[in-house]
Amino acid sequence: MKRVVVILVWVLIFVPLAWGVYHSVQKSLPLFQGQAEPPSPSRPRS
Amino acid sequence: MNFFSREATVAKPGFNRWLVPPAAIAVHMCIGEVYGFSVFNVPLTEAGAGWTIPQVGWIYSIALFMLGLSAAAFGKWVERSGPRKTMVMSAVCFCGGLLISALGVKLKLLWLIYLGYGVTGGIGLGLGYISPVSTLIKWFPDRPGMATGMAIMGFGGGALIGAPLGVKLMEYFKSATSVGVAEAFIAMAGLYAVSMLFGALIVRVPAEGWKPEGWEPKEHAKPMITKANVAVDVAWKTPQFWCLWVVLCMNVSAGIGILGQASKMCSDMFGVSALVGGGFAGLLSIFNMGGRFVWSSVSDYTGRKTVYCIYFLLGALLYCAVPWTQSTQNKALFVAATAVIITMYGGGFATIPAYLRDMFGTYQVGAIHGRLITAWSVAALLGPSLVNYISTAQIDSGVPAAEAYNSTMYLMAGLLMVGLVANLLVRPVDAKYHRNESLKP
Repeated sequence: MKRVVVILVWVLIFVPLAWGVYHSVQKSLPLFQGQAEPPSPSRPRS
Repeated sequence: MNFFSREATVAKPGFNRWLVPPAAIAVHMCIGEVYGFSVFNVPLTEAGAGWTIPQVGWIYSIALFMLGLSAAAFGKWVERSGPRKTMVMSAVCFCGGLLISALGVKLKLLWLIYLGYGVTGGIGLGLGYISPVSTLIKWFPDRPGMATGMAIMGFGGGALIGAPLGVKLMEYFKSATSVGVAEAFIAMAGLYAVSMLFGALIVRVPAEGWKPEGWEPKEHAKPMITKANVAVDVAWKTPQFWCLWVVLCMNVSAGIGILGQASKMCSDMFGVSALVGGGFAGLLSIFNMGGRFVWSSVSDYTGRKTVYCIYFLLGALLYCAVPWTQSTQNKALFVAATAVIITMYGGGFATIPAYLRDMFGTYQVGAIHGRLITAWSVAALLGPSLVNYISTAQIDSGVPAAEAYNSTMYLMAGLLMVGLVANLLVRPVDAKYHRNESLKP
């Protein structure tokens, strides 16, 4: 019974954390899909 | 004895110590929301009060400043009062701060938001940050690094939750007459209060003399792990405290410099869109969270001094490699290098309480940790200022935007070398500073 309570409490904690990780992974997907544009053009050195 | 007292939280025989880390995480993942507060900046400027981005930016700065100040000022009270009372006070201050800020948005009074989220919420941050540290260290004498790593991982996770939660709540409450910020603050105050009070409810302290089943302290003491105790008022007068202060300050300054500018840096260096840059920042947040648990757990095996040497040496090497990844346009290596750097930034936060315990014992380790947190407040100003100032100066002097961060990377490597020297100077605390255990109540 005690072990079940411990598991339940850990699940309760991990659900919001997993939701946060899921959102961050989703947000980071363009990093792996996007094509790089050429870097910003060089400005003449003064 | 009342429900909130330390005595009321003493665990009964047979209590499962694995219930304590979730209590700590429940608090830390709420207060970690402060890292995601920037999602409110633009909506606050659109609230119809004429506020500017620099003006609303102060809310976050005041909150972080108050975090350091309150952790330093209330550390001894936290040790005396126990984790439950402190967690409840943290919830009252943090959630109360959100409610005051909601009123500030409705009344269009910016000073009320400074007072609410900044000052009151900031005190809640400080109390909540240090409250579970000494409790966890006492429950896990066999794995103190892993234990503190779990709690402080929750703080890193708080940003991952807080930012999208804030955005979704504002979208939900947005109307013709409101940008949804005040309503989002109220909803967050309610949600966070539930989580933090849940943590306060399940937290327990071990009974005097308790130790994990089957675990015996090692006969031959390691020189870098004391069996003595040092009081907080004495600890901060020792050279070890200030060496560790520099260690934390340098590690955080270097990491925060990258974390705070991640999106813009990625866009400038690799010519990617703001969307991709934002994705890079999100990815770093995950590594920041994971590094807290992984590196802190590793320190239980390697020792704290060794693990900080790894942070500083490997970190410096990787910082020096970043300009090369830019010049070769190797985006994958850039992402890999910065991800590892950020795991060590998080690891530095999570390992420091265990390092303090090794140096000063468990007696007032939470309070000592509180005073050391002032290094974070200094680093929060130092790191981003250095990156901003140097990269802007470079661009103004004609250096292409893509190369403007190179000098900053070398400077960050230099900061890590300062931290390495401070770490190498850490020696066991002189016995003259040890607490006389016969005076123990």
